[in-house]
Amino acid sequence: MPTSASIEGRDEPAVIRARGLIKTFGHVAALQGVDLELYGGEVVALLGDNGAGKSTLTKCLCGVYQPDAGELELAGRPVQLRSIRDAEAYGISVVYQDLALAPDLTVLENIFLGHELLRTGLLGRAGALARGEMAQRADAALQALGIDLPSVRIPVSELSGGQRQAVAIARATMWTRAGILMDEPTAALGTRQSDIVANLITATAARGLGVMVISHDLPRVMEIATRVIVLRHGRVVLDTPAQGLSRRDVVDAMVGYAEEVHG
Amino acid sequence: MAEHAVSSRPAAPERGERRAVLQRVAGHPAFWIALIDVALILIFGLLSPNNVFWTLGSFQNLAVDSAEALLLTTGVALLLGAGEFDISQGANVVLSSVIGGKVMLALGSAGTLPAILLGALTCVACGAGMGAVNGIVVTKLGVNSLVATLGTLGIATGAADLITNGSDLAGFPLQLQSAFGSRVVLGVPLPALVALALFGVAWLVLRFTRSGVRILALGSSRESAVRSGLRVDRLLIVLFLLTGALVGVAGFIDISRFGTTNVSGHQTDALASIGAAVIGGASLWGGRVPLLGALFGALLAVILQDGLVVVGLSPFFQLIATGVVLIAAVHLDQQRRQRSGRPGRVRARLRS
Ligand SMILES: Nc1ncnc2c1ncn2[C@@H]1O[C@H](COP(=O)(O)OP(=O)(O)OP(=O)(O)O)[C@@H](O)[C@H]1O
Ligand SMILES: [Mg+2]
Repeated sequence: MPTSASIEGRDEPAVIRARGLIKTFGHVAALQGVDLELYGGEVVALLGDNGAGKSTLTKCLCGVYQPDAGELELAGRPVQLRSIRDAEAYGISVVYQDLALAPDLTVLENIFLGHELLRTGLLGRAGALARGEMAQRADAALQALGIDLPSVRIPVSELSGGQRQAVAIARATMWTRAGILMDEPTAALGTRQSDIVANLITATAARGLGVMVISHDLPRVMEIATRVIVLRHGRVVLDTPAQGLSRRDVVDAMVGYAEEVHG
Repeated sequence: MAEHAVSSRPAAPERGERRAVLQRVAGHPAFWIALIDVALILIFGLLSPNNVFWTLGSFQNLAVDSAEALLLTTGVALLLGAGEFDISQGANVVLSSVIGGKVMLALGSAGTLPAILLGALTCVACGAGMGAVNGIVVTKLGVNSLVATLGTLGIATGAADLITNGSDLAGFPLQLQSAFGSRVVLGVPLPALVALALFGVAWLVLRFTRSGVRILALGSSRESAVRSGLRVDRLLIVLFLLTGALVGVAGFIDISRFGTTNVSGHQTDALASIGAAVIGGASLWGGRVPLLGALFGALLAVILQDGLVVVGLSPFFQLIATGVVLIAAVHLDQQRRQRSGRPGRVRARLRS
């Protein structure tokens, strides 16, 4: 049985609580009954070998996929998510490796896309943007996360990969009330940029949001994680606080030694 | 209008700032097209007999000839910004002018003013309706907009021919031309003023409003628009509808200028409008449409067409030039994208 020592004695309901999630694609059983919780303020590293089911799980948690069976509770309420929009309405957002920013729009426009601030009065009713106010708020949000950009008014296509990832994360933290799921946010980044993103993740959790990160970069993700969940063949084989956990334990769980030892 | 890199760094000394402004102007695609427009006007003026190309009448003629082109170019530029095409524009001009014309003829006995007003309304409504059909086919039926509007091009052309039996409608109230089509206000032809006003509205919307940002988001990254919770289908249908309404206005201008429909014309309208938008700096891959560039691009084609006639050459050279320049512009855009590591998406989109 997976243990969840880190979550005992909490009063707040979990941001995300999944029970017995099952998802199959044809004859591939991608998820075979997954239980997990994500609480506000923690960074959960979701680990596992290629094909273990990490991405499928993330997509089930944010409404991209509908699980074949199992229950999902967000903030203590049972829900059925039919789209990412649904998940966002419950305060859950996703940051993908492939970003999903609009490259031709400015940083500002990307951060506020779908949440634009309008001017007051008649102009606002005509849909006129309050760019000044938006810039101030974006600058403040970026600063709070320690993100340094030349300007929020340049197109995203002119940013580096790390800067784009930072913008995507800033965007997610600005509009998310509960939890952020990240699927390999640093896969395309160099060392320095990965460090920046890692710091961002810590800063995001410190603001009380629950963060779940998928990554194959074990050393780095274990440095920032407060809890580690390992998936293997669509099942949770390890769920434990990160403190005191060795990389060896995690790898053993990923490749299946742990199962053999503990039965 | 495309957002250009406006640095929020501390204010530079004044001279540096002035140079930055100059650089921005020179870096704007509209600037170069405007320059070519001016150069062509100079050249045609010099070559034309007695420099007639430089007379007020000639400029008024240019303006009124540009009215329809500008409306269609504005519409297609907005659609290109959202990553969509419309090649049914010409057929839509014809169909809306035919249906609006029918209404006007039917109401002729009810009085001139109501007939003209209702005829105009019908033209616009018909254009908007065709636009909405395009939008619904693209979003709800999932048909790529190139193919969808190729289909509606056929439907609209066929419908217009059926309604008219292939012969043009005429016999509209004379006031249609005197009060609108050939009316000149403060030296400017009224149809050109109407087109310019609608262009201005489109420019303001694209530049300053939430809808403008969302239109460009649709074209820049459809996926990011979806993930940002935008109602993509609804946005697209409304956009197709409104750009269709612009086409409907062009249809009304068409009958009020000539006092007759032109059912066998307008076959190269889509080439002209897409060409003008792209020459003006719009990207075929969406997300970037400098509307001012599209304005000067639309003027470019009209100047060429009228200028060639004035200097005694065939106006058909203009079509050839537009075709060549369109291909060249898209090729350059493609190369620019590849250099910035963003391969073209047209092929991927055709498959979807
Ligand atoms: N859309 C799909 N259709 C069919 N099979 C799928 C689909 N998505 C995932 N699978 C299968 O489900 C299993 C889990 O895939 P998933 O992408 O969740 O793994 P992952 O843990 O994210 O792997 P990686 O570390 O390589 O990203 C794999 O066997 C995969 O082939
Ligand atoms: Mg994956």
